[in-house]
Amino acid sequence: MPTTPTQENDVFRIPIGPQHPALKEPGHFEFTVDGEVVTAATLRLGYVHRGIEKGTEGRNWIQSLYLLERVCGICSHVHATAYCLGVEKLAGVEAPPRAQAIRVLVAELERIHSHMLWLGVAAHEAGFDMLFMYSWRDRETVMNLLEGITGNRVNYSANQLGGVKCDIDGEQADDIRVGLDFLEGRIKHYLDVVSQDTMFLRRTRGIGVMTREDCERMGIVGPTARASGVELDLRVHAPYAAYPEHPVNLVTATAGDLEARFIVRVNELFESIRLIREILDDLPEGDLSVRVPRRIPAGETISRVEAPRGELFYYIKSNRSDMADRVKVRTPTLPNMASVLEIAVGHQLADIPMILTGIDPCFSCNDRMVAINDPSRGEQAWTWEQLRQYGIEYYR
Amino acid sequence: MTTEAILQTGSALIAVWAKETLTPEPNRLDAIIEPDDLLAAVTALRDAHWGYLSTITGVDLGVEAGEFELLYHFCAGAAILTLRVRIPRDQPVVTSIYSVIPSVSFYERELIEMFGITIEGTPNTDRLFLPDDWPQGVYPMRKDFNPADA
Repeated sequence: MPTTPTQENDVFRIPIGPQHPALKEPGHFEFTVDGEVVTAATLRLGYVHRGIEKGTEGRNWIQSLYLLERVCGICSHVHATAYCLGVEKLAGVEAPPRAQAIRVLVAELERIHSHMLWLGVAAHEAGFDMLFMYSWRDRETVMNLLEGITGNRVNYSANQLGGVKCDIDGEQADDIRVGLDFLEGRIKHYLDVVSQDTMFLRRTRGIGVMTREDCERMGIVGPTARASGVELDLRVHAPYAAYPEHPVNLVTATAGDLEARFIVRVNELFESIRLIREILDDLPEGDLSVRVPRRIPAGETISRVEAPRGELFYYIKSNRSDMADRVKVRTPTLPNMASVLEIAVGHQLADIPMILTGIDPCFSCNDRMVAINDPSRGEQAWTWEQLRQYGIEYYR
Repeated sequence: MTTEAILQTGSALIAVWAKETLTPEPNRLDAIIEPDDLLAAVTALRDAHWGYLSTITGVDLGVEAGEFELLYHFCAGAAILTLRVRIPRDQPVVTSIYSVIPSVSFYERELIEMFGITIEGTPNTDRLFLPDDWPQGVYPMRKDFNPADA
């Protein structure tokens, strides 16, 4: 794999990645350029491929839930939700209404965190670091809310097969309402910035245009497609969990450029806030989970959910054992990545980081690490086995 | 249009090639087709703008069954139409649908490296996910591959 620009037959190729200061995701691109203009692009992925699909074939249904939640550090909850809904369908059980509502509530909080994270990254790529810092500061509000509900900032582990593990009490509901009021004010400001700031618009307006036909032909999903007028949002068109009771208003735009992708995602934040308030006001009473058998009846199912980046597709096959026979995961970034290779052609090389960021490619996010010291044992840090034992003792 | 009506439209489009159709769930339709008919069926769906190709799932049915099953999932709203193709494990070859749906490239490359399936006519057969130093001829998603041996 070349790591420096090469020239063959008068074709100039610029390798970018896998590690590159402008792109926070390990992916290797090769752009063929004529002067500053891109004429072709190729992609090599897999630098964070961990063999998770194969991993599910050697683990029981419950263990796989924890594994699959770790496919993505940003949208972990939707992975767990897609998996749980699929396994519950195969098992012939349904999570109680309160659990479904909490699933949706956490999913929408996660969407807010994910879109705000993206807004910051995209602003950074545009050279607008002030917006990056503000949006990440404000994002802490929603991170704290998620931690308040589930105990975790990332990989919340809110789901379990048959329901959820965490409840929402009155005090938590009030905290969420206060946080949402603050965020709503900030997001109004962000909408003004991305739709009015002249300097910002010069990086987004008319750049990376994809028509509706392009999107449909390439199978583009999520806000990237909706910014080109594609009416596809699984929360609207194939509602799952508590979305049938809490309908979502579809957010689309028609321009299909980077500006439209900003406007669609920011407007989706308002919709998420509206939805969370509605759920808090109308949270059904009842149990948080139902029992799911250890062995799942033979069969196969497809579970699709709307992740922050678009359609997340799970195919799950059981052969009546305590382990999955096959789990196939197709994340929204894969089809969307194909669009980058196509729309990059004809653009200035300098626009590429913004075009790539425009689809919100999924970066693994290591949010923070906690070193646990136990002075009584005279140790600096615990081993994995000690942590595991501590966990078992704690919940006994 | 209701999900049922969308599925009926899709079913009619591929009826010529479907050996058998199943409705495993209300929003799904599975059509079992011969590998030789795959390209024609996909072309029919594409020409009618019936949904989009969501992904291809490869399933190893095991050494004893001696077959791979490839599932081409097309989605339109809540409806999912799956074209199911079986190919022998000892000679796993299938026609590429790249000429009809160019965005299939990533999914076909995944099948090549994970299952060792030969996709005839796909332009790019480079590795997409597996590392450069992964041994040739070792296909991790096959049932007889044991991660502990790797």
